[in-house]
Amino acid sequence: MKRSKRIEALDQRAVNKDGFIDEWPEMGCIAMKSPYDPKPSIRVENGVITELDGKKREDFDFLDQFIADYSIRADRADESMAMSSLSIARKIVDIETPRKEILKIISGITPAKMVEVINHLNVVEMMMGMQKMRARRIPGNQAHITNLKDDPVQIAADAAEGALRGFREEETTTGVARYAPFNAMALLIGSQAGRKGVLTQCAVEEATELELGIRGLTTYAETLSVYGTEKVFIDGDDTPYSKAFLNSAYASRGLKVRFTSGSGSEVLMGSSEKKSMLYLECKCLFMTKGAGCQGIQNGSVSCIGVAASVPAGIREVMGENLVAALLGLECASSNDQSFSNSDMRRTARTMLQFMPGTDFIFSGYAAEPNYDNMFAGSNFDAEDFDDYNVLQRDMQVDGGLRPVTEEEVIRVRSEAGKAVQAVFKYLGLTEITDEQVEAVTYAHGSRDTLKRDVAADLMAADDMMKRGITGVDVVRALAESGYTSLADSILSMLKQRVIGDYMHTAAILDENFQVMSGVNTPNDYLGPGTGYRVDGSRWEEIKAIPHRIDANTF
Amino acid sequence: MEMSEQLIQVITRTVVEQLKNNEELRNAVVRRYADRNGQNGRTGVSSLAGKTRMRPKHSYEGSVRAQKGTDPKEIVIGVGAAFQTEITSTICGIPLSDVLANVKAGIEEEGMTSRVVKVLDTSDVGFMALQSAKLSGSGIGIGIQSKGTTVIHQKDLYPLTNLELFPQAPLMTLDTYRKIGRNAARYVKGEKVTPIESVNDPMVRAKFQVKAALMHIIETEQLDPERGMIVWDQ
Repeated sequence: MKRSKRIEALDQRAVNKDGFIDEWPEMGCIAMKSPYDPKPSIRVENGVITELDGKKREDFDFLDQFIADYSIRADRADESMAMSSLSIARKIVDIETPRKEILKIISGITPAKMVEVINHLNVVEMMMGMQKMRARRIPGNQAHITNLKDDPVQIAADAAEGALRGFREEETTTGVARYAPFNAMALLIGSQAGRKGVLTQCAVEEATELELGIRGLTTYAETLSVYGTEKVFIDGDDTPYSKAFLNSAYASRGLKVRFTSGSGSEVLMGSSEKKSMLYLECKCLFMTKGAGCQGIQNGSVSCIGVAASVPAGIREVMGENLVAALLGLECASSNDQSFSNSDMRRTARTMLQFMPGTDFIFSGYAAEPNYDNMFAGSNFDAEDFDDYNVLQRDMQVDGGLRPVTEEEVIRVRSEAGKAVQAVFKYLGLTEITDEQVEAVTYAHGSRDTLKRDVAADLMAADDMMKRGITGVDVVRALAESGYTSLADSILSMLKQRVIGDYMHTAAILDENFQVMSGVNTPNDYLGPGTGYRVDGSRWEEIKAIPHRIDANTF
Repeated sequence: MEMSEQLIQVITRTVVEQLKNNEELRNAVVRRYADRNGQNGRTGVSSLAGKTRMRPKHSYEGSVRAQKGTDPKEIVIGVGAAFQTEITSTICGIPLSDVLANVKAGIEEEGMTSRVVKVLDTSDVGFMALQSAKLSGSGIGIGIQSKGTTVIHQKDLYPLTNLELFPQAPLMTLDTYRKIGRNAARYVKGEKVTPIESVNDPMVRAKFQVKAALMHIIETEQLDPERGMIVWDQ
């Protein structure tokens, strides 16, 4: 066939490098509604749910049973289930119906009913719903802090810069799993060097992650993964009960926790039971609620390549974020994984959470260049910082970040690097040279830094765990090395776990370590003239992007 | 109602035939659309509804269950259920026979020995590797999915942790597989091992996740948990 030059040009566009696939319900490759999804139903006998979405209690699998016993208010079920899905959907969008009333209605519905409700909403209505249902009054943002070399100095420096730029939470992970203790400690130190009150976590294997948390080397945990089918749970050697138990283990030590779920994981693991991605995600979210967990990281997350490949996949992603908010959960709304070669497409996907605002718009914005992002690339990275700041300014939207100056960036990166160097020296870990601190201070990513002795680092990290080093040792090391203010900040973070207020839904800390959560600063949006508005000093901050034309010197 | 064995057989046969008819009917429809539009998949039917699997089930009739090894120099390599049967090359097109040859060669270069088993009870690479480690005389095992994702594991570690993980299959080369063999052998020898340097392509998900999902479906539908882990000499 003689080829059209127009079509040839289109074929070369970045978006055509993305993966797309037709709907395939039998394999769960279907976003919003599968012909195999159950019909909503409920039966309550003597306060016990004996039928759930067409299934009798004796046929329940462990997810059904968990949801029936812990996630649905049996006393409200009859009333809520009697309402039509359409009328619930309309109330979600209606500015006359307060968030609290919606939460009450939702507490009595089943997962299949939730699927019906969400299917009534188009993306703009979902955004309106999110604007009202988000738990915390002000939106927030979370960063990924990682690098290819697992270099603790770079982790500290990027954490400091990220904190300075406005991220309220920072998450690290490893390239080599055994680096975890170093990464966690460097992140803890660096984050407080950039801005006080930033929460940190280290996403690694669950037992290690818990251990790091108990030792005070992290301040929250997020990667407690839950799934929408029994089979996938079992494959991971888990049950809803074991996850609930793990949640309590963190809570007992005063750590903030959220679970992680997201559409597409069951497809990727080959056990979707022919259900739609939205239905399975609803089961995850109901389960999270039932486990007593305050929040969730969801929105397809690392399986976004699957959700984004099917029709209405990105609508579904926003839909599942909204389901989290409807259940009263804190929602860290993903945007944390690259999924498209097209700048246009990746930006459009993020606007769904950016415009209404979520508790954490990104549950991992790469605060390093994406080649250093060890979560396999985020949807936005360090090279997008200025674009993002301009988007906030263009639309007068609070995306959780702020413009910074080069001087500030260099200052906090340097301080963080030196502090980690001092702590490593005090604790007798591997050497960090002045040259490395200098290289990292001015670096963009790990291509600009020096090589580390990985084998020696891993032995020292093992040793650090064997010696029982805790957050208190880090505080002592900093204090005795002359970093008194930084020592104070980390001690204040450790005190949070005794106070416990930041375990409330959607909690973040301000620079004075005061909690802002869905409990003491709840979202009070009820249409124009209400709720959080970008104004005052925050608006001035957003306006002040670099690269403005100075009319005085023009 | 009483259900006799015979009645069940009749019903099963009818249902299977009906399903087969549905599949044929659907295929006929797809073909018609494809003919009309000249190009399959570009326009026309945009649903795969009705399709129930990717590949027919492979029979492992007569396979031999793999036994626990006693040789302290032995490393067990556990390959995926579709390895060299339904899938013959990794997600980026490296022939699986070459993958295996290089891992084995790496192990031998360091003076250790290898044994290959096929894991039919799980397609999760972490568990594949851990089970291989438990079967291995040395306690070190390697799990390799058919799409190329690989883990080096040790028998006494938690399932979801590992010695080394290579999560981005599209970035693997034969040299990486050889290094994996070498490093696994060095763990057996108790040496101070420098992990293979991490590589990262932040666009890998956009390019490969759908293919990865389909390959994983092919692998998972070949599972045969009753048979567990079997001897695999290909």
